[in-house]
Amino acid sequence: MFVAVVPAYNEEKTIGSVVQSLFAHVDKVIVVDDCSCDNTYKQALTSGAIVLQHKINRGQGAALQTGHDYALQIGADYVLHFDGDNQFCVEDIKPALKKLKDSGVDILFGSRFLDNRTQLPWFKKYILFPVAKIFNKICGVDLEDTHNGFRILNKKALEQITIEQDRMAHATEIPAKAKKLGLQYVEFPVKVVYHKFGQGLGGGFKVARDLVFGKFVK
Amino acid sequence: MLILFQILFTMFVLFAIVNVIKRKQEGLLGPKGLFFWLIFWLLAIVAVLWPNSTTILANYLGIGRGTDFVIYVALVIIFYLLFKLHIKLESVGRDITKVVRREAVGEGVRNKE
Repeated sequence: MFVAVVPAYNEEKTIGSVVQSLFAHVDKVIVVDDCSCDNTYKQALTSGAIVLQHKINRGQGAALQTGHDYALQIGADYVLHFDGDNQFCVEDIKPALKKLKDSGVDILFGSRFLDNRTQLPWFKKYILFPVAKIFNKICGVDLEDTHNGFRILNKKALEQITIEQDRMAHATEIPAKAKKLGLQYVEFPVKVVYHKFGQGLGGGFKVARDLVFGKFVK
Repeated sequence: MLILFQILFTMFVLFAIVNVIKRKQEGLLGPKGLFFWLIFWLLAIVAVLWPNSTTILANYLGIGRGTDFVIYVALVIIFYLLFKLHIKLESVGRDITKVVRREAVGEGVRNKE
């Protein structure tokens, strides 16, 4: 079974259309509503998704792990990470799953840099991503595009990787753990459409802080 | 003769030590914590009642004034405690996440049934 996990926080305007567009490409859609203040929960439910609700806002990483736990319980073989803000294209899903299966790897990471379909904001392209890439290399992650929310994990990866970084640092944590656990992974070109800027410099510092402090948490 | 500050500080330290012992009795402080805070407050009282003691230590370490020595040590301790506090907060956050997740998944399973 191929299951999409969509972490959502205040995405009432887009979550319904994202869920409906996903149904043509996956078997089930799990939306993890991370204690949204708006109608995300109702919108996701109305559109036919399985909706899990965090009663306290815990962050995207926490929402993804909640989705993993539930997906494993319902017998998922593959899990797709997909953002709820309509920034990914559903047309990338089937070729990505095929690539994952054909390559015989455990995880597929989406990348904005393997083709030229994505129009990146200047600041992200020339400042934020090069700095992030150096930092990720220091953390042992050698991906072209670490902070891309499009991923597909097989059952083995789902069972072995536990996301402990509750906020955005999970994007570095997942490939770092995959490498440590000896899981095989591949990158695949995906298109990202920017409706809003997303994480800025402040977000980058928070990720670095979480990764550093996370090393000391037992 | 004791100056007013020394009297007030001594009273505060006594109050702090009583609190430390109470926390230990309530089980909120371990043996290591008890040892650390007792030593900390006893050293603080020595430094206030006999100010020259810090100058002796400062000179021994190559620092000019006793007051500078106290400030440096205080800064190191404050930064260390802030670091420990941050780690503790992160750890508590992760525990909260586990509880929130258990409830969310459990509710999802119940709804499915």
